[in-house]
Amino acid sequence: MMLNIRSRMLLAALLPVTLVALMLAAVFLILRVGDNEGTHHQRARSLIRQVASASEYGMFSANTSSLQTIAAGILREADVLSVTIIDVQGGVLVRAGKAAQAKLPALSEVESERVDTVTGRDLLTQPILAAQVVLDDVQDRPGPVATSSRQLLGHVVMEFSRDSLNRREREMLAAGLAITLGGLLFGVALAALIGRGVVTPIMRVSRMIERIGSGDLSVRQKIAQDDPLRDLQEGLNQMAARLESGRDELEQRIAAATLELREKKEEAELATLAKSRFLAAASHDLRQPTHALGMFVARLGQLHHDGQTRQLVNNLESSVRALQDLLDGLMDLSKLDVGVIQTHVVPMPVNDVFDQIRQAMRSVAVEKGLHFRVRPTRVWVRSDPYLLQRILLNLVANAVRYTQRGSVLIACRAPSGSGRVRIEVWDSGIGIAPEYHEQVFKEFFQVGNSERDRSKGLGLGLNIVERTAQLLSHPFSLRSSLGQGTRFTLELPLAESGAALTLPEVVDSMATISLQGVSLLVIEDDALASVGMVGLLESWGCAVTSAQSAATALEQMALNGEPDVIISDYRLPDGENGIATVALLRQIAGRPIPACLVSGDTDQALVNRAKVAGLTLLHKPVRPAKLRSLLRSLVRLDAGTRSAGRT
Amino acid sequence: MPLFLRALLLLCLGCLAAGKLCAADFQVVIVSSERSPAYQEAADALLGELERQGVPRKTTLQITPSELGTGGELTARLFVTLGADAAMAVVKADPRAPILCTLLPQESFERVRRDSGRRSNSVLSAVYINQPLNRQMDLVRLALPDAGRVGLILGDGSQGQIPAVESAAQSRGFKLVIAVVAPGEPVFKGLKKILEEADLLLAWPDQQIYNSNSIQNVLLASFRARVPLIGFSSAYVRAGALVAVYSTPAQIGIQAGATARGVLQGKTMPPPQYPVEFTVSVNEHVARSLGLTLDASALGERLRAMEQR
Repeated sequence: MMLNIRSRMLLAALLPVTLVALMLAAVFLILRVGDNEGTHHQRARSLIRQVASASEYGMFSANTSSLQTIAAGILREADVLSVTIIDVQGGVLVRAGKAAQAKLPALSEVESERVDTVTGRDLLTQPILAAQVVLDDVQDRPGPVATSSRQLLGHVVMEFSRDSLNRREREMLAAGLAITLGGLLFGVALAALIGRGVVTPIMRVSRMIERIGSGDLSVRQKIAQDDPLRDLQEGLNQMAARLESGRDELEQRIAAATLELREKKEEAELATLAKSRFLAAASHDLRQPTHALGMFVARLGQLHHDGQTRQLVNNLESSVRALQDLLDGLMDLSKLDVGVIQTHVVPMPVNDVFDQIRQAMRSVAVEKGLHFRVRPTRVWVRSDPYLLQRILLNLVANAVRYTQRGSVLIACRAPSGSGRVRIEVWDSGIGIAPEYHEQVFKEFFQVGNSERDRSKGLGLGLNIVERTAQLLSHPFSLRSSLGQGTRFTLELPLAESGAALTLPEVVDSMATISLQGVSLLVIEDDALASVGMVGLLESWGCAVTSAQSAATALEQMALNGEPDVIISDYRLPDGENGIATVALLRQIAGRPIPACLVSGDTDQALVNRAKVAGLTLLHKPVRPAKLRSLLRSLVRLDAGTRSAGRT
Repeated sequence: MPLFLRALLLLCLGCLAAGKLCAADFQVVIVSSERSPAYQEAADALLGELERQGVPRKTTLQITPSELGTGGELTARLFVTLGADAAMAVVKADPRAPILCTLLPQESFERVRRDSGRRSNSVLSAVYINQPLNRQMDLVRLALPDAGRVGLILGDGSQGQIPAVESAAQSRGFKLVIAVVAPGEPVFKGLKKILEEADLLLAWPDQQIYNSNSIQNVLLASFRARVPLIGFSSAYVRAGALVAVYSTPAQIGIQAGATARGVLQGKTMPPPQYPVEFTVSVNEHVARSLGLTLDASALGERLRAMEQR
């Protein structure tokens, strides 16, 4: 670009100079050559006229010697090559010089000239006419004879050399070229000089603009007093200064706004944290009594009652179950909130989950008088078995809850070639109006439960379902209209069929193991919970000893011998915890006594620690059924290891 | 009454006839070859002379030959022509009135007279422009008293003049050297002979020899040979002739006027005459170059005195 400006400047300056120089040279040469030619011809013509006029008397008097003298005289003139004087009859009177032209040109009474291109000579002819004297008197014309024209006496033919003419023309051409060249050189020098004065500032300005363009707003130009682009550069400096100050101001504002936002965000985070803490604390504190309550109610349920009391106990059990469900839902929600749930996607048969659901929900549905059906399937999918079960269980529970009569259907279809599996949960319940299709997925939202009847659930189910499905990347959709039932659809990726899990059979086999006479050590600092659990366990036929701390647990073990199974609360007094206590007890016993942890904390860290220690963690409130099944499996495993140890 | 009427009618008719006569008739009609200054000078001198003699200017008419045929038949008591062309034209028109030819050389008049049917001097006469030979010879004698041989170059047509020239020369003791140049022959050939043999060259009005093309070279040649040339008009003197005797157009006009007056007064026309009045002119540069001292007026006086004797 720089080069471009420079060359353009040079061109703009040079073009007129060149044109003027060339034109001047051309005009000069043309004029000079013309002048030269004219002078040459004029001189030649005047010489020949001189000869003609001088020869007149010689012609009249036929004086050849005088003509010879004239011819010899004129021959001395420069450029004259030959002179020939011819009389009126065409006879050559005098010939002087070396005539190249043997043949004389056509003669007439007018002057003529031509350039002989072969010899490069000018050939001029001049008639010799008698000088006329005006005799105006009447006597001049005594007769009728009129003499108007001048008498032709003869001709002069002269040859002129063009050598000197040509030489002068060559000299002029050389001079013209030299002048042109000189003018051009001068023009170039001048143009370069002037151009530099303009181009340099332009380049300076261009560089400055380039730097501003690349974001360097601090650039300033030093301006010389005589700079031709002074105003422009001053303007640029001002512009850069303004841009810079504007940018700084903007940055300051952005920084301020960012700071403000950050503060607000921190506030909000603090608020969320406080809420979470509150929730965690509240849920922990709630779990403890609820846990005990569950134990008591379970124990109570095992006693014999009259009809009225049995009814009361049943109601009590369902209330406790609702409370436990609520706490479980809140836990799930908090896990989803914190984002600690890790998915373990594996190929799995859908039918396993279906079996579990059938087992869990069948009795409730049938109790409600619904036609409950789970359609068996051989399809395998890639999913997290536990989370998928949570999703479907939630959906089915929801369906059963909102269906008063008719049926609930769980089915699976795998359209061939699509690579997808659709698990659908149908019900013929009250349905959901289209305007609520979005809202039903919100936390604590329940259609038509503004009075928040707890028997209708908490409204956490669908929210948990949707968020879990999102976590698994399973598209989840709802299709429903008011009074027409509802259909939830979950889409999963299809998987190749593989070896079926044998878990259900294990569970089945476990049901036969009896807990009768199993010795248990329950370590629980909360008196109520301890009493509730001990009571329940004893009702199952276990021999239970309880301890309130690690120390008492050691005492108890020393007193009663080592137990078959240890059930320990995680949080123990004096900063002790269940994991350490169990480890200690095992160390003393010298063998890994089967143990499990019970805790009101839903902290993921705790879950991880339990996993590392190889202990099953039960969250309070512990379901009695779950506790029993865990105990059975522990007993059975222990029996297995012991027999293995013996052999 | 009828008689009176008849007399009146006759009177009227007579007046008409008389009026017609007055309108058509001029005393003198001057026909001029052209209206150049020389001719006009002659015409003016002629008219002035007539007027002085009582012929009013309104009874005269001045026309050119081209106007001669256009105005119907012109009637006049006398036709005066100026120049050879006018003389020829008027003679050809053949008016009933007598014709006086002026401003023409004798040679031309004689040709005109031959062409017309008029033989009598009373109906066709002339005042020549050229000088009588004797006057020229006298002038030669007066101007160049030592000269003995008079050179003369003549064209083919002028050979008839030779006897008259010879007698005039002999009567004054001159020896004539004559060169005759044939048509197409270079003048210089004859001139060379004259310049070698004669003491002077007497110019003879012959168009073949002396014309505006040749005169300069003739004069140059004679001057180089130191042979003076005697001319016959003022132009010759201006061009380089030593001396010339000639009559100016005014002098001829006056002479013609006097002749015309005589005719108008009832006299018969005189025979053709040479001009009476004349002028002598000298080129003093040439005279000085030739080592001569000539005075024109003195020469004229002496010449006139010689003629009156």
